[in-house]
Amino acid sequence: MVRHRPDRRRPRRRAGWSEDHVRRLLWRAGFGATAAEARRWARRGRAATIDWVLDGPPGGARLRGRAPHVEGRRLDPVNEWGDDVLWWLDRMVRSTHPLAEKMTLFWHDHFATADQETPLLLAQNRLLRRHALGSFRALLGAITRDPAMQLFLSLADSPKEAPNENYARELMELFTLGGGYTERDVREAARALTGYRSEWDDRGLVAIRWDPEQHDGGVKRILGRRGRFGVEELLDLVCAHPRHAPFMAEKLWSWFVATPPSRATVRSLAGVYRRSGLRIGPVVRAILEHPALYRNLDAPDMVKSPVVYVAGALRASGSSITHGYPVWLLETMGQRLFRPPSVAGWDGGPAWMSTNAVVQRFAFGNFLVSYGRPQVREGSVKATLPPREALELAREAVGSPPISPRTRRALTRLAARWFDDIPKDWRDQADWRAESLQRTLRHLLIAGPEAQLC
Amino acid sequence: MLARLGIAVAALAACAATGALAAKRPATAVGVGEREFRIAVYRESVPPGPVRFNVTNRGEDRHDLVVRDRDGRELARTGEIPAGGQASLRVRLSAGTYRLRCDVADHARRGMRARIRVVRPSER
Repeated sequence: MVRHRPDRRRPRRRAGWSEDHVRRLLWRAGFGATAAEARRWARRGRAATIDWVLDGPPGGARLRGRAPHVEGRRLDPVNEWGDDVLWWLDRMVRSTHPLAEKMTLFWHDHFATADQETPLLLAQNRLLRRHALGSFRALLGAITRDPAMQLFLSLADSPKEAPNENYARELMELFTLGGGYTERDVREAARALTGYRSEWDDRGLVAIRWDPEQHDGGVKRILGRRGRFGVEELLDLVCAHPRHAPFMAEKLWSWFVATPPSRATVRSLAGVYRRSGLRIGPVVRAILEHPALYRNLDAPDMVKSPVVYVAGALRASGSSITHGYPVWLLETMGQRLFRPPSVAGWDGGPAWMSTNAVVQRFAFGNFLVSYGRPQVREGSVKATLPPREALELAREAVGSPPISPRTRRALTRLAARWFDDIPKDWRDQADWRAESLQRTLRHLLIAGPEAQLC
Repeated sequence: MLARLGIAVAALAACAATGALAAKRPATAVGVGEREFRIAVYRESVPPGPVRFNVTNRGEDRHDLVVRDRDGRELARTGEIPAGGQASLRVRLSAGTYRLRCDVADHARRGMRARIRVVRPSER
């Protein structure tokens, strides 16, 4: 674990609320903070920052900065390979409401869907964003009817004579309860979920339609209740189950905080969730206001997922999407958007830091230094720049990330010795070496150990 | 990735053999998803000129994609694409309707057929 003291060079604006707090919050609830954002929100204070994170800017979210393009062409997320990934990655980088994107990513992991037509997955992505911080019950209803989900878990065309149990099982296991149900509950729920039919033509899926003739309207016994339950009644039943609120509270907590919540915290968050009418926003607010989120600011303990790492580095450095390379890198890092490994989503945590994944994170550092905003322009750096100033120049180029005194000492020492093999009287002609030093420092700041955690 | 490149290269070689390889100018990309036993084409129509079919096999069996004109003449085909694999097929198309199908086993008979219209922008 990398432990470092908060950097004392940065001014603290308000008691109990510093740039370090802002950075922690904006990484956990988004994709990091630029240096300007850290300064601005440290000045504004805790309450104003959390309001902004939750609500986004007045007038709604928008995308700012340079629109994405790949080798001169605009993105075509439906038809071009990988452009769906770049399209969403760009939203994470440029959105003025990063929490909405972070929560869309949460739901993409929670309601993990893969192997479906790109237009269907993009439609599901819009659905998840629309409901990201709203009513869970409304989201559950929408995702149950969502064509990509219906096809992925064989809900469409589930025959009433032999109902398919895929969706019923995941509804209880992964989506709402996590346990506390029986095999009979799954079988009976599968009966309640029958009645959807898919219609196709030459161009693919036309629609998923409700066909009352295909629905099993008989009496079912589910989670201790008896009745002629249909789809909506089943969704109401699982949402009203005593296990549901703690399940969602714990799942949401683990998205923002690396250490498990205490029982009291789960009880408290579940209470917030129930009192709000199963709305996500109030629970997220309670987590973002919780002191545990800001514990050990000098020792970050949450591994950035590949997507968060890549989007965060692009965002912090002011870079835009200009190449398809991140698509391949994200895949080899273990997290390709729209392709979760299973219905259970990604494992996450330390699993992101496999040997190969770390190599790919280093490769991404190379990519950003070569093609992103942090690239070093010829003639832009002098070899006579003192080592400390060289390091500060590199930090500014990648978004001024905080670094521990230990890393600062190591990088300053590297800068001081970079020219040791060159005679001192040649130094003023060695600017090309200063450029390679800048590239190295920037790369280490983007890809070093401290950049992997938040 | 190497497998995908191999498929793309094979597809391009097949195009060249049939004289269908279009000149190197920007092609209209068309996403195509294949599964048992459907072909989903993400664009209803495209303008005349080079078209690049980006094919993803979302099914469990191997599939291919064959482009034929309305008289049944084969214009281009991919190699067989493994489950989860991708291939790219570039072909120049003039105005008209074209048939897309999977030629593996009896997949076309079981439903793996689709059409794409090529229309001039003024007629769209």
